[in-house]
Amino acid sequence: MYTHNGQDIFVVDGHMHLWDASPENQIPPHGKNWIDCFYAYHSGLSPADAKWPYEKFCQYGEAALIDDLFVHGYVDVGILNSTYLYEFYKNGFNSHEQNNALKAKYPDRFLLNGSFDPRAEEAGLEEFRHMVEQYPIAGLKLYTAEWRQGSRGWRLNDPWAYKYFELCQELGITNIHVHKGPTVYPLSRDAFDVHDVDYAATDFPTLNFIVEHIGLPRLEDFCWIATQEKNVYAGLAVAMPFIHPRPRYFAEIMANLLFWLGPDKILFGSDYAIWTPKWQIEKLMAFELPDDIRQEYGVDLTLETKQKILGENAARLYGIDPAIHREKLRRDAIGVHLAAATADQAGAEAFPVASVQEHA
Amino acid sequence: MPKEAQSLLLPDVPDRAIILERLQRVLDPELDESVLHLGFIESLHVHQGQATVALHLPTSWCAANFVYMMAEDIRQALLAVESIHAVTIRVGEHFAAPTIETGVNAGTPFAEAFAAEGGGNLDTLRETFLRKGFTSRQERLLRSLKDAGLTAADICTLRIGDLAFVGDACLVRCAGRQPVEVGLADTARRYLQRRGELGLDGSPTGPLITDLQDQPLTVERLEEYVTRARTVRLSLEANGVLCRAVLAARQTHAHDLVFLGPIERFQR
Repeated sequence: MYTHNGQDIFVVDGHMHLWDASPENQIPPHGKNWIDCFYAYHSGLSPADAKWPYEKFCQYGEAALIDDLFVHGYVDVGILNSTYLYEFYKNGFNSHEQNNALKAKYPDRFLLNGSFDPRAEEAGLEEFRHMVEQYPIAGLKLYTAEWRQGSRGWRLNDPWAYKYFELCQELGITNIHVHKGPTVYPLSRDAFDVHDVDYAATDFPTLNFIVEHIGLPRLEDFCWIATQEKNVYAGLAVAMPFIHPRPRYFAEIMANLLFWLGPDKILFGSDYAIWTPKWQIEKLMAFELPDDIRQEYGVDLTLETKQKILGENAARLYGIDPAIHREKLRRDAIGVHLAAATADQAGAEAFPVASVQEHA
Repeated sequence: MPKEAQSLLLPDVPDRAIILERLQRVLDPELDESVLHLGFIESLHVHQGQATVALHLPTSWCAANFVYMMAEDIRQALLAVESIHAVTIRVGEHFAAPTIETGVNAGTPFAEAFAAEGGGNLDTLRETFLRKGFTSRQERLLRSLKDAGLTAADICTLRIGDLAFVGDACLVRCAGRQPVEVGLADTARRYLQRRGELGLDGSPTGPLITDLQDQPLTVERLEEYVTRARTVRLSLEANGVLCRAVLAARQTHAHDLVFLGPIERFQR
């Protein structure tokens, strides 16, 4: 929770991870290359005091996460986006099975997102159904560029993907986050193509498609699609950190999103642990669009809009009432810890993660 | 010429100026910026007509097709220099380094080198990004014209011959008025250069602002056109910001990374 002039602002981190990229888990050479690439993003865009040592970045664990998100990072609810990468990491990068351990310990603090891979075809459908029965799956994170047995990716409008979307409708899973950002394959096309979102969003109007990383660097295509399709949303992960090294550029990106999509279709995401949420949220709350940009685009980044972006929009999509949820959070172990720290008038200390039991 | 580019070459290399000038023109197609300015060329070494270029890319996950394009373009640019008869490109740490290096250094087309991955032809991709670059360059020029006080009607009636370059500045002459300064010459030059590359009319009497079909823009169309062009420019810029930040981090944190490629580090 972020407090602005005495007013509580509900914060949903729409895109965060608990990954294991430790050397023991890596499959050479790509396991190391992958985390090195992430680390370059981390150190390239983070403020100096928010940079981590490389070793911590590879594996930071539950205690650091709870601290970075909830104790110091203002986040109320984090959406655990599962990323499997079984060809790069022996036990996966962060699977829903692993993420569920966090969800079970702090049920009100996390939403657990699963995934599917349509290349698993018929067998995968059964597995998907099983996952939804077994785990408290709130939504999905799809990673269309994932490697699988020689295939370098798939598209949302592949016939098998449609069968999975049909199953989503049947099982009541409505929020689909899609990674559309810096990727590698497929080779033959423009690697960042977002047009498949257009097809899926048109054909499945009851599903919501949250395009993570706002389709960068295909912003123009993304904006056009999101303007046409009511059910396409912008996920700010990766666009957010530009606020630090390139604030004016960030202002233009935000003005552009507000111009095309409006304030109700933009969702905050830190992409933790690539970047920690604390500085991103502080800087966003303090941010104002420069006058010339405000005039040129005819939009503004008001307090009301910031509240929508930081939490209200995601809460609406996931059926969370911020007022009711805030009360629940006050009573959980982290909430009690934070209240005690506030009462002491001292800075909050690290939360003792070992003291929390998994909920049955 | 950026300082780094100057120091890429040892002073006694023949055709030094020509080599730098050629490399200057090789672009990262996605960013629409010179690979030299971006700092992607780690070193260049010429020995008895044999040039060896080591690239330093922002990440080992840079899209293989774009890397291939840049490597191919660098090779072609250098082969066109009289004193160079062979070129070897090293892409350094990259997930597809062996395939790219073998392919490019043998002059194999991308589609063939990556046949197993559904490589496809790079020409369409190249064309797409030349066009995006056109829109982005044009948007910057339009912004300069607007900032200098030109109205939509002024802008739509300008001819290419109405532009004049004085030192680093660009001047524009609207009918019946004194010439006004409209920002940097480089902004207009980059736009005109891309018009040429796309085969659009470059004659002095031709309209200055046209769409990609070479149709002049009307006052009615201009605003919506600019709104879309602005998004294209922002999009290209995003990648530029990210690539530079990541490349800088990679250079700073090099001790944390293992460079797998057979890069010989030459004096920078």
